[in-house]
Amino acid sequence: MAKQHKPRNAARGRWSATPIRGIATTAVLMLAVAACGTAPSEQTASGNSDDPIVVGISLPLTGDFSQPGGEARKGYEIWRDQVNADGGLLGRQVELKITDDASNQDTVVTDYTKLITQDKVDLLLGTFSTLLNFPASAVAEKNGMLYVEPAGGAPKMFDRGFTKLFFSQQATAPRQPEVFVDYIRTLPENERPKTAAYPTQDDPFTTPVIESMQKQLEELGVETVYTTTYPADATNFQTIASAIAAAKPDLIAHGAVFEDGVGLIRSLQQLNYSPEMLFQTSAPTNAGQYSDGIGIANTEGIFFTVSWNEKANTPKNEEFVAEYAKRFDGAIPAEDAADAYAAAQVVQAAVEAVGSLDDQDKLADWLHANEVETILGPLAWDETGAPTGQFLLGQWQNGETEVVAPADAATVDSAVAKTPWQ
Amino acid sequence: MTQLVQALVLGLLIGGVYALMASGLTLIFGVMNIINVAHGALLILVAFVTWKTWSVTGIDPILLSIIMTPVMFGVGWLLYKGVLSRISGSSPGMSVLLTFGIAITIEGILNVTAGNRFRSATPSYFSESYRLFGISLPKAQVYGCLAAVIVLGLLYVVLAKTWTGRAIRATAQNASGAALVGIQSAAVAALAFAIGAATTGVGGSILSVLYPFFPASHYDWISRLLGIIVLGGMGSLAGALVGALILGLAETLTATYGSLQWSTLIFYAVIMLVLLFRPQGLFGSRLRQDVMA
Repeated sequence: MAKQHKPRNAARGRWSATPIRGIATTAVLMLAVAACGTAPSEQTASGNSDDPIVVGISLPLTGDFSQPGGEARKGYEIWRDQVNADGGLLGRQVELKITDDASNQDTVVTDYTKLITQDKVDLLLGTFSTLLNFPASAVAEKNGMLYVEPAGGAPKMFDRGFTKLFFSQQATAPRQPEVFVDYIRTLPENERPKTAAYPTQDDPFTTPVIESMQKQLEELGVETVYTTTYPADATNFQTIASAIAAAKPDLIAHGAVFEDGVGLIRSLQQLNYSPEMLFQTSAPTNAGQYSDGIGIANTEGIFFTVSWNEKANTPKNEEFVAEYAKRFDGAIPAEDAADAYAAAQVVQAAVEAVGSLDDQDKLADWLHANEVETILGPLAWDETGAPTGQFLLGQWQNGETEVVAPADAATVDSAVAKTPWQ
Repeated sequence: MTQLVQALVLGLLIGGVYALMASGLTLIFGVMNIINVAHGALLILVAFVTWKTWSVTGIDPILLSIIMTPVMFGVGWLLYKGVLSRISGSSPGMSVLLTFGIAITIEGILNVTAGNRFRSATPSYFSESYRLFGISLPKAQVYGCLAAVIVLGLLYVVLAKTWTGRAIRATAQNASGAALVGIQSAAVAALAFAIGAATTGVGGSILSVLYPFFPASHYDWISRLLGIIVLGGMGSLAGALVGALILGLAETLTATYGSLQWSTLIFYAVIMLVLLFRPQGLFGSRLRQDVMA
């Protein structure tokens, strides 16, 4: 039996190879032509002023980044509903076309390519994490589309010469610690930390922050007594905590994403080692989850940098916080939701100022030349699309997150001392 | 010296918990040739239920495993009868696909019902330690490891000393031979799967105290557990224990004397070396393909 089948199948395979290759080549050529052609908005019928404006977004709604991805979606949707309630964008209703990239770099490329070339969306908004924004922004740039990203502040995003990429937070990762270093500089010399430990997760958004902070603090005369980098899947922090406790630093500056931030603090508590000063990158901004994880009494005095605060007196912030609470059982918005809302505000400002969607270059040019008011505060960019502002310095006080610097954004008068573990 | 002892003790405590989590996975593979990729998702499911019960009632999360274990036994039995029995006799590859589907389903259900955010149970002792000759033993880790030792001991007694256990081991060693001497392999398979799932009742409860988790955490756990049982020998309980202790020690020793960054690399380097010389893993036995066919 097998003998009879084999040659026939093989022959069929050989016979069909050429046409398939031909079809594939044609398809690739067609795609290439579509990609090189005119800007998508000019090819579509959506120039019709009654049609809704379609904004294409791919988000990590499942997989590793599903948590920030889900929050970003909430932020985008609240923005859409508020814009539509106010009469829309350029008098047209706004529609979001959101696809799920499953936290996968290949899928995010496919998604944005499809949104641009097949769905022919009018505008794009960015996805979450540097990992996904890095390839996604390249797709947008290649197709001549404005790409405003709510996250993705690693330096490598901005050394590719892109002209339509904008990061809609205040500063890139290496410049994130400046506000904390400035705060330490303002302290009288005898109150500054003398020694510091720098544990960090191996992550494009934490490592540059901590490396840059170490450099800046060393210049201020703070001695480095411990550094370590651990992988993203690390779950046990007792050994790192033991090493830190043995080095007895005054300051622990920790590049923590989330569960590692909680994990290291729990291990430090088990060793009963409480530094005079504790700074973590993004972990403390996950308000309720963070205080549940380490105990709310133990949050007192912990510093962090953040792009947004729910009490900030910025345009639309109050409405955003109220709407979020209304939709999600009174919850305080996650920072990721606020960042997404701000990204959408940036695109909205550009479209309203230019007054048309036809030329994405004009939108980008306008953003390069102007400052935009968002719920994060005013944002402005250099020629690479990197923001030129400063992060906010946050601190946990009395069980809530407050902003202590810069002065014009502060929600409290001054910083407090860290209390020992309860 | 203290540093070394501290690293060794912590490594063993961590490894003990890993061993418990891996034991169900290796048991299920040993008896049924099913690679249960949903094992991690079952652990996270239990962790969620435990966390929720703890936060509402205040009952100690590790004690809750006394309730969660029989519940998960039932869940495992239903899963096997309802879904997995349909692919009995198919290749292990098929079981990977099916159980991966189950894992994603559980993740999805947790996302919708429990919310996509981090949780962790924080009973009063979670931040405390025992001090012994300058060595610190985190209480939660100690309790977790004790529970793991008890469960592994019970599992050993059941498998080695009872008729049911002998039937399970006989089926694992030679399914056709076991059937020939009158063992009902379908019933034994369901039982083994249920027992395997029941171990997540304890493992997940401990996880909820030791590690912050969210619905997609199961990917991290299943990759770690698969590494452990491949190293130990798939299907071997003793292998899972040794593999887990090696991983625990690799983590603490590399973190103490180098950087935790290297721990994953070192663990997988050990796996590669072992597989080079013992393709069946440390404690695994070579499959008798003539009997399998």
